[in-house]
Amino acid sequence: MKMHILALLALAGLPLLTAHAETLKINGSTTVNLPAAEASEILRSEKKMDIQIDTQGGSAGGISMLGEGLVQIGMISKHVSDDDRAKFPKVTFKEIQVGEDAVALIVSKDVWDGGVKSITKQQAADIYEGKIKNWKDLGGPDKRIAFFNKEPGRGTWEVFVHWVYGSPKKAPQVSFPEVGGNEETRNKVASTKGALSQLSSSWADGKTVFALSIKTADGKEISPANENIANRTYPLSRPLFLLTNGEPTGDTKTFVDFMLTERGQDLVKKHGYMKLSDLK
Amino acid sequence: MVSRWSFTKISTFFFSLIAAGIMVAMLVLLIVQSIPVWKHEGWGFLTGTKWFMRTHEFGAAPMILGTVLVSFTALLLAGPVGIGAAIFTSEFLPSRLRLTVKIIIELLAGVPAVVYGLLGILFLRNWIYDLLTPFDPLSGDTLLTGAVLLAVMILPTVMTLADDALRSVPSAQRTAARGLGLNPTEVVLHVSLPQSARGLLAALLLGLGRALGEAIAVFLVVGRQDNQWPEKLLSINPLIESGQTITTKLASSETNIAYGDPIHWGAICGLALILMLMVAGITLASASLQFFSRNRHAS
Repeated sequence: MKMHILALLALAGLPLLTAHAETLKINGSTTVNLPAAEASEILRSEKKMDIQIDTQGGSAGGISMLGEGLVQIGMISKHVSDDDRAKFPKVTFKEIQVGEDAVALIVSKDVWDGGVKSITKQQAADIYEGKIKNWKDLGGPDKRIAFFNKEPGRGTWEVFVHWVYGSPKKAPQVSFPEVGGNEETRNKVASTKGALSQLSSSWADGKTVFALSIKTADGKEISPANENIANRTYPLSRPLFLLTNGEPTGDTKTFVDFMLTERGQDLVKKHGYMKLSDLK
Repeated sequence: MVSRWSFTKISTFFFSLIAAGIMVAMLVLLIVQSIPVWKHEGWGFLTGTKWFMRTHEFGAAPMILGTVLVSFTALLLAGPVGIGAAIFTSEFLPSRLRLTVKIIIELLAGVPAVVYGLLGILFLRNWIYDLLTPFDPLSGDTLLTGAVLLAVMILPTVMTLADDALRSVPSAQRTAARGLGLNPTEVVLHVSLPQSARGLLAALLLGLGRALGEAIAVFLVVGRQDNQWPEKLLSINPLIESGQTITTKLASSETNIAYGDPIHWGAICGLALILMLMVAGITLASASLQFFSRNRHAS
């Protein structure tokens, strides 16, 4: 009787174990997700790989779930910080760059049509600290600024505060409505008057949401166009990484290698990011 | 021979013990995990209005207020509609038609929350944004948007339980009332409603319990703004501004950051504990109401 139960348990556990060994789990940034999801699709059909890809919690989710051993690859759109490394001392985070992206400050149509086309770093800081509350201070319409801040932990947010304050730790404590993924951000900015938010520049379509240029101290206006990202004159650029625990092996290696091949890199470009060979 | 302690009896006893054990274990886990934040903030965790995770300042009051405002507003909107619909189905519809209507309304309960959330982003928030134009809202993400969305979601719960409560009033009483010369409206007002009052209240409370625990749909339209303690509590202002509920905070990506930092993680578990106690209180109240109303009809 006892043996039967044991055998039954073993049988019940078997599919779980094998499924676990075969499924490649990936989680993290919605920005990296676009090319990675398409790569998964290709690998699923061509190599019959079992891949589960998700965007739970953005880059922070990618890091913590890799740290917990819940996924084999994290997708992140920022560097792993020392705090993250301290949190998971047993994990050797390895960043593998697969592309480059820029963060744009995007506005809704009424603001763009009202004449606001660029922003300085000081203005961005003043809006963030609540000193500027109306678009007329930036030469735009008389309309309150509806600032949608990216959730803490999002790569996009960190690029923004890194540009304005030098480090996420120096960013002041603020209270704004928050947005999460790219789709949500674009949707909410597009449907709100006087809206402003941070968004991956490839998502700024120029029809519903518009990317502001950055006005430098000497009066130059730099747009988040690809050539400006590649030659690093646009200041809010960021690397896109696949994150692994140590050197990738097995299925993890297959996936990472695919992203670095010409086909994988074309997927990166297809979604509006810079591929590695375009970077100088 | 069937012994007093049959296999069925023992196994059901065993499994209900497991179910109760899981409940207790969850409570204990949340209490233990939230100890660091209680040590750090004291009662300030409940009364504080500032939540700044980077400087370890954790005050849950705006989220508790948001939860209460959103759930009660949802109940205020769904209650009359739900009970009205229940009166119609249970008192005035022939039983076959009643079941059809009931099933259609119950289907609403099967729609996944995230679908409601997406519909909310697509239509509801824009609609509320336009509707509120005279009040000059900053965006369509408001506590009110969350409440309206929740009202739709808890409607099936309220309606179907209210319908059950009304049906549990014996029809002999209705017949007797009609015999005394009351018209159908008077029968509803003077017989069915008073007789089923406890059951109706229980239906409302269970609807409220469902509203308290709902996360994803509200998460997408509530605005998720921390530290929103309103300047004027008794006005429409808190409702037409963005805010947080306990559930939206728990569903946010902050939980990913909190993990590994005992105080921050404690604060998240503390929120979960508060929510669980709120829902437990409501559920117990409603269960006891239902229990007593059933007893009365039995006697």
